[in-house]
Amino acid sequence: MTVSQGSAPDFLDPGLGYTTQAANADWISYTGLLTYAHEAGTAGSKLIPGVATDLGKISPNGRVYVFTLRKGLVYSNGEPVHARDFAHTIERSIKLNWGGKSFFTGNIEGAEAFDKGQAHTISGITTNELTGQIVIKLLSPFGAFPNVLAFPSAALLPSNTPMTNLSNNPPPGVGPYMITNVVPNQSYSVVRNPKWSQDNIPGIPAGHVDIAVKINPNTQSEAERVLNNTADIFDWADTIPPSLLPQIESHASDRFAKESTVSNFFFFLNTQTKPFNSELARQAVVTGLDQRALSRLNSGFLAPGCFFLPPGMPGHPRGACPYGDPNAAPNIAKAKELVQRSGMAGTPVTVWSETRAPKREYATYYTNLLNQIGFKATQKVIADAQYFATIGNLSTNAQTGYANWSQDFPNPSDFYLLLDANSIQPQNNGNFSQVKDPHIQNELAVLNAVPTTKLASVVSRWEALDEYVARKAYVAVFGYGQQPKFFSDRIDFGAAVFHPVYGNDWTTIQLK
Amino acid sequence: MSVASGLPAAPAGREGATPGLGEVILGPGAVTPGLGPYRLAWRRLRGNRVALAFGLLFLAIALVSVLAPLYAHQIAKTGPDENHITETIKVGGRTLEVVSPGGIPIGPTWRSRFFLGADQNGRDIAVRLLYGGRNSLFIGAVATTITMVLAILVGLLSGYSRGPVDGVLSRAMDVLWAYPAVLLGVALGVVFALGGIDLGLFHLQGSSLLVPAVIVGVVYVPYVAKALRGQVLGLREREFVDAARAQGLGHVRIMLGEILPNLASTIVVLVPLMLANSILREASLSVRGAGVQPPSPSWGTMIAEGIRFIPAAIHTTLVPGIMLMLAVLGINVFGDGLRDALDPRARVRVGRSPVSAEIET
Repeated sequence: MTVSQGSAPDFLDPGLGYTTQAANADWISYTGLLTYAHEAGTAGSKLIPGVATDLGKISPNGRVYVFTLRKGLVYSNGEPVHARDFAHTIERSIKLNWGGKSFFTGNIEGAEAFDKGQAHTISGITTNELTGQIVIKLLSPFGAFPNVLAFPSAALLPSNTPMTNLSNNPPPGVGPYMITNVVPNQSYSVVRNPKWSQDNIPGIPAGHVDIAVKINPNTQSEAERVLNNTADIFDWADTIPPSLLPQIESHASDRFAKESTVSNFFFFLNTQTKPFNSELARQAVVTGLDQRALSRLNSGFLAPGCFFLPPGMPGHPRGACPYGDPNAAPNIAKAKELVQRSGMAGTPVTVWSETRAPKREYATYYTNLLNQIGFKATQKVIADAQYFATIGNLSTNAQTGYANWSQDFPNPSDFYLLLDANSIQPQNNGNFSQVKDPHIQNELAVLNAVPTTKLASVVSRWEALDEYVARKAYVAVFGYGQQPKFFSDRIDFGAAVFHPVYGNDWTTIQLK
Repeated sequence: MSVASGLPAAPAGREGATPGLGEVILGPGAVTPGLGPYRLAWRRLRGNRVALAFGLLFLAIALVSVLAPLYAHQIAKTGPDENHITETIKVGGRTLEVVSPGGIPIGPTWRSRFFLGADQNGRDIAVRLLYGGRNSLFIGAVATTITMVLAILVGLLSGYSRGPVDGVLSRAMDVLWAYPAVLLGVALGVVFALGGIDLGLFHLQGSSLLVPAVIVGVVYVPYVAKALRGQVLGLREREFVDAARAQGLGHVRIMLGEILPNLASTIVVLVPLMLANSILREASLSVRGAGVQPPSPSWGTMIAEGIRFIPAAIHTTLVPGIMLMLAVLGINVFGDGLRDALDPRARVRVGRSPVSAEIET
């Protein structure tokens, strides 16, 4: 079975991997205390026990999590799994500078001191080898912490795993698969773990086939190979070239589908500087956006919508959009009127975007729209690698531009990092609109503390907050991501699960 | 071997007195006394119908590009940056979408609107082609001017002064020469596209067309400067320069009044070749995102934007590609004809990757 990936994983070492390509292989090769159900749709967002016996016990103040390790677990090399391995794993991810390490250092007691070299261990993690108990103390309640524990970077590794990047020879883990034969930037194999039968964790399938992954940066040939059945799986994170789409839709409709991902696409609107410090100016943008046009720029792989929380994320509002139907033509006359009323007509605006298609094309459309409704817009396109660092630098003071967000984990707190005033920082700022709204802050203070396992109890409150954000037009959302599920003729398309967090679930891939 | 011996004499009377330079050999044994070198060159050029035809082709492309606003407003009724993604158009009684829901733009309609089709943003390709031509030709012209002015300065100073001045300038040119032109252009283009160029009084916005023009212009300086320096090294030893020195003329006057006129025909030959190279280099930078910045069109950016639509909407790359090819072919063939006309014995070659310019006699 051959998977064709357009981009190589950033790291195959679970302590470092942070891209979708890395996660595809890592989440089935490395299991944490908790993991996700191997199901499609919202069922796949459900946390299930991984190497822990259950979902853990949370103290009434929400600051202490207690887990117990399953008995008899072994790594793919046959070594037994120990409770102390968890502490080593978290320390290793921090020392290796994993891209999401702030989830650990910002939440676990003593993790920041460990990161700074002020402590040899993380004081907030204690383990008991006899009972298999793992106790984690948090600095303050963080409702999404169970999701953090489900990251592959929190998946247990043997305590003797060196604190170096092992991407070329990934360490043993607990999971139905293991990663072997790594040729950097060219290929790697994900083969079934012969020791998995000893672990056999409920809810995690054993897998049906071994997988050879080939890196193919040319998405055109990547798609052609799957279409011609010389490769079996098209990387779900890649975009099918628009020129091939009609052919795929007509000749391979039984093995191609557009799958919704929990992600949003939006133009940020800097609320701290002209012209978008004016609510009317922001409303004008949202009113004038033609989501049908933006969807066509992404070959139709965008589901229209106006709310910040995407469908599939608890808290996504079910009500109507406040500034018009996103499936219909926009009201340009109304948008022009709003610009005039805002007093911002003629204000120079720089629209920022990345180079890669279709992001540049989004910005081109958007620049044209801003000029059409009364602003004086110009476009600034910069290299993809520097884009988010540039607009995330407060000294750039970017007025507006393209941004998107894909869930790290299925909890609305993850998306609201981008609208949280507390997350505004001089560099690597993710709150591109620089939203500082007391109402949002008050709500987040309560909602962020609610554990993921009790999220259902506050869904309506998240919905209300998201509707409020849409009314205030802090961002101009223009759709939700859809990605291709595209296989060769050999694969049982119906049996393969498209997971809401990790995309194609390779444990469910099987031959017809 | 004398570098200048194969070149026609400058029209100034001083060199006209040099024995042998007043007579221009037309063919074996044929001598036309009293005919100026440029008139003679023009006569030769007129006889080269192919070169003239391609020269006219280039002029025609330049002319229609200059008239882009007229076409946009009077015929196509749309600007080069106006998006029409969700609009429809009637062609032969059928209603067609400018861009399909799957993102494929409409092909040529052969009508006033979207005559050559649309691009992915629903922009009229014919309109963008003409506006892109204006930008490409403008950048080519400015870049060539920059190249020639700087190269003449460097070549004159370096070749005439020799010694330390030549050493410093030549090594600086070597450094610039040693860096691959495309890489250097892309590196500078990416950096300047973000922050512009700021030299105190002189500031260019990152989106300015002058940014790629300056980059292309500077990158090519060594290729021309080295050729001119070689010629100047030979010319400074000639009798008419000795005579000028004996008359007490200063260095600047000798360089500008005696040597520069003798470089004129070489410069005239190099200009169209450098123009063609500059247009190509601008396109190659734009294809890599380091040239003309969106939404402004250029033939290079249009090709880059259309690549991902091959083969479903091949017109998005084919149309600007053909235009670029015709423009470069036109100026190149004309440049070759001009070279042949000015000096049938000279061989001036300007390669492309890496560019090399040399003059041999």
